[in-house]
Parts: sequence; structure tokens; C-alpha cells
Amino acid sequence: MNDLICICDLRRMFAEAAVRIRDHSKMLSQLDSIGGDGDHGITMVRAMEVLENELNVENDKLLNDRLKDAGWGVLSVSGGASSALLGTFVCGMGDVNLGRENDCKHLAASFVAGLHAVEKQTKARPGDKTMMDALVPAVQAIEAAANSGESIARTMERAADAAGTGAASTKDMIARYGRAKFLGEKARGSADAGATSIALLFQGFSAAFAEQEGA
Amino acid sequence: MRMKKFINDPKQIVPELLDGFRLAFPRHVKLSGANTIVRTNPKPSGKVRLVTLGGSGHEPGLSGFVGRGMLDASVVGEIFAAPGAAKCIEALRDACAGDESALLIVLNHAGDVLAANIAMQAVERERLNVKMVLTEEDISGPIGDRRGLVGCVAVYKVAGAAAENGASLGKCVEVARRMAENMRTLAVALRTATHPATGQPIFELGDEEMEIGMGQHGEAGNGRMQLKSADQTAEIIMGRLLADLKVNTGEQLLVMLNGAGATTLMELYLVFRRVARVLEAKKIKLVRSAIGEFITTQEQAGFQMMIARMDKELLELWDAPADTPFFRVL
Repeated sequence: MNDLICICDLRRMFAEAAVRIRDHSKMLSQLDSIGGDGDHGITMVRAMEVLENELNVENDKLLNDRLKDAGWGVLSVSGGASSALLGTFVCGMGDVNLGRENDCKHLAASFVAGLHAVEKQTKARPGDKTMMDALVPAVQAIEAAANSGESIARTMERAADAAGTGAASTKDMIARYGRAKFLGEKARGSADAGATSIALLFQGFSAAFAEQEGA
Repeated sequence: MRMKKFINDPKQIVPELLDGFRLAFPRHVKLSGANTIVRTNPKPSGKVRLVTLGGSGHEPGLSGFVGRGMLDASVVGEIFAAPGAAKCIEALRDACAGDESALLIVLNHAGDVLAANIAMQAVERERLNVKMVLTEEDISGPIGDRRGLVGCVAVYKVAGAAAENGASLGKCVEVARRMAENMRTLAVALRTATHPATGQPIFELGDEEMEIGMGQHGEAGNGRMQLKSADQTAEIIMGRLLADLKVNTGEQLLVMLNGAGATTLMELYLVFRRVARVLEAKKIKLVRSAIGEFITTQEQAGFQMMIARMDKELLELWDAPADTPFFRVL
């Protein structure tokens, strides 16, 4: 298969991710209600809508600028920390010049840049029971797979697995950031809503390429 | 608990509430863009602009304090959720238009701080003259990372008065910080609220329980206990506040009691009566008080008690005239 990413791939990635977020929005809100105010699902659905709409605009901009526009769109969503960090991530992905199409290694660099942007805005790190528990291992998996020459489909599959494992691991953690930190020990036993969202996002990214490979 | 509220469309709550608010107070406020409340008559040029941001569902906070002597702009988010950073950037640009300077007052909540930080980074790149002050006075949190609760109203009041007097941005920051550093708040909850957009209760609390340390959005606290009387509750909370602020005999305090939404003014007066007696017994001067609903959490029952150490200048600024929809000093 042709292993170059174009705007249609970005659209498919975020569309697949949006489907998964929409399908699980109730569950995400329920997870959020344990330590927060129970609106994470609503916020994520709104953020994904904005991402899809921004990426669906027809223009001739470079992929990195498309990501920046989409990220800024999410930064306009009034969704508290979740949308601010997701917007920062997508904006940050646009810090790497991708041109109008590019390969897996460049896409990986763009994910790394997105993670760096998020790390500048939050002190949360893996182990704190936040979205970082899924995001950091997912981006690390992308970087490793891309560097060892894996296809985009395999790379995204690895990322989805890593994000899923990371999100599941938050079940046994107590929160140190966000509203749930005030729960202390009571937070143990359920997964973090933000990490679960990130896992769904990467599942979507993976599905976008898996289908292509099967075709 | 099933949600019982007068709502048209859960998705339209924020735009409809802002529309209703501006129609109710046309002399004081108007809408700028989709979700920023600004003064109907802007401050004269050369005076520092006060901007704040935060989620909605806490009426009359925060937009209820936009007006002469307090805020110039309030950037409004979704129910219990911070506004987008992009909207905060726009509000700061508007506030600074014509080479004005602005003070951004932010309550310490993860989403609000993220939006504020992203906005501050952007306006600093544009070389706008903006400073930020964080309020973090909730003593239920760990030191160094405490939530901002009703104390922001006192910060709006004193910094707003300083700005109205023509103080420089540096002076407004200094006054705001002094107020912020000398105040402490602790909340207690009796009954949950339902989230207007999801219809779900935001926490669970037994019929015979109360919880000390509850956050502004019903975030669980860590002081669940058997329901107590007004006197006992006042004593427990005031005791913790005085210890945390290290208040000495003879010092002057401002006390605010902020109803969460479903606690009656009757109950707040019972609590306040005990507060006054406790301070009297400790020979601490109760110099000013404010009792009512400032920042609510829907139909949650409970209240926030805030104490602040007041010096001569802070008292003068607290007493200065203000004319906003929900805070007036003649």
C-alpha cells in the first residue's frame, strides 16, 4: 500500500475516533462523575465535532496548518481542561512541517510534537491518573514503531494497544491532578475518563488504517 | 435524585442564560461575541481592565460582578467547564484595545488555569500589557494547589476599586495578590445538585451526612461526617479557617457566607450568628461581612465560609462604590 498520509487520512482518523467517542460518551461521563462533574463525554463529543468540521473544510493548506486550525477550533470549545489539552495536542501536532502528504516517520514526529505541547501546559505525568497515562505510551509506541520502519497501520495499531493498556492501568491509581485529586483513595477502582478518551481516540486512528489495509 | 429544572434545550442553556442576564441588566452589562459579558459603558481609558473567566451554572457568579467598581469582562464557559482559550484571548485583546492594560483574575481550577495560561502565552507574544492573579484559598486542598472559591469576589472588589481609582496595573496586581493571600475558604455540602446538561446528580451524600471540603462543582471533599447543627458547623469551619490563616487576637476580618443554591438565607444567618460569637470570644474584630449567594452550584445545599484579614487599604477598597448586577456599594 501507499504509506503516505494526506488530508483524507487525517479526516478518516478523526472520523473513526469521533465515532468511538460518540458511542462511549455516556460511559465517559459516568467515569468523570466519580471525581468530577460528569460532563466529560459531552465535552469530548463537542471537541470531536469541531475537529471533524475543521478537517472537512476544503482548502489547499499544508497538513500541519490543517492540524493547527483544527486544534485552535478545539481551543475555542468551552470544555475545561479536557478540550484545552486536546486542542493543545492537535495544535502541537502542527508544529512539524508535514507538507500536503508525508510518511509515517513524519507523522510520528508530529505526534511527538503534540505531546511536547501538552507537556508544556500540564505538570501531570504518567502515574497521575490523567489522560497522560494513555497519551504518553501511545506516542512512545508510535515513535518506536515508526523508527523501526513499521507501516502506518502497524504503527497506529501499536499506539492503540499502548493507549488502551495505559488507560486500563489508571484503574489502580489515585489521582494527583484535575478535580479527581480531591478524592484520594476513593478514586481507586475506576479508570480515568480522560485516559479512556485518549484510548478511544487512538483506537479510531488505528481503525482508520486497518480498514485501508484490509481493502 | 431526578433532575427537576426549567430548561428548554440542554444544549442551549448557556446562550439562553447569557441572553436572559443581559436583558435583565441592560444598564450594567452587554454581550460581546457569543460568550463574554462586558460593561454596557466601558471604563474611561487609562484605567486597568479587570477580566475573569470561568464555567457557568454558578450564577450570579462570575458575570454578576461585571460593572463599575468591579469587573470589566467575564468570559463564560459551558456548565461547570472553563471557556475555550481562544475566547479568553479575544476577550483580553478587546480589553487591551487602544493600548489599555488588563488584570486577569483566575480561580484555581484545572480547566480555568489551562485556558488562562494558553491565553496569557498568546497575549504576551502580542506584547499586550496583561498580568494574571490566581485565587486559591480553599483550605481543603493541599497547600500550593488549592481551589479558588468565593474569595474571588473580594479580589474583584478590591482590585476593581483600585483600578477605578486609576491605580497602575502593578498596583492592581499588588492589591489583588494581598487580598488573595490573606483569605481562606472552606465549603460544606448537605445535598447534591444535578448537572443541568446531563441530568445526573454530581455527587452522592447520605440523608444524615454532610461533607466538608466540597468543591465548587460538587467535587468530592474528604470530610464526610454526621450532619451537625448550625452552631456546630460554624464552629468546626471557623476553627479550621482561623488556624489556617493564623489569625491573631485583635486582627480585623471580613467574613463572607456564600449559599450554594439551596441553603436558605435563614440558615446562613443562624450560622453567621455563631460566627460572630466565636470571633467575639477570641477577640478578633469582625469588621465587614457579606452574606448571600455569590457563586452557586445549582440546587446544591451547603455554603462556603470565607474569612479575610483586612488592612486599612483593603478595607477602603472594599468600601469603595460598586454598581454591578449582584454587588452594590453606595
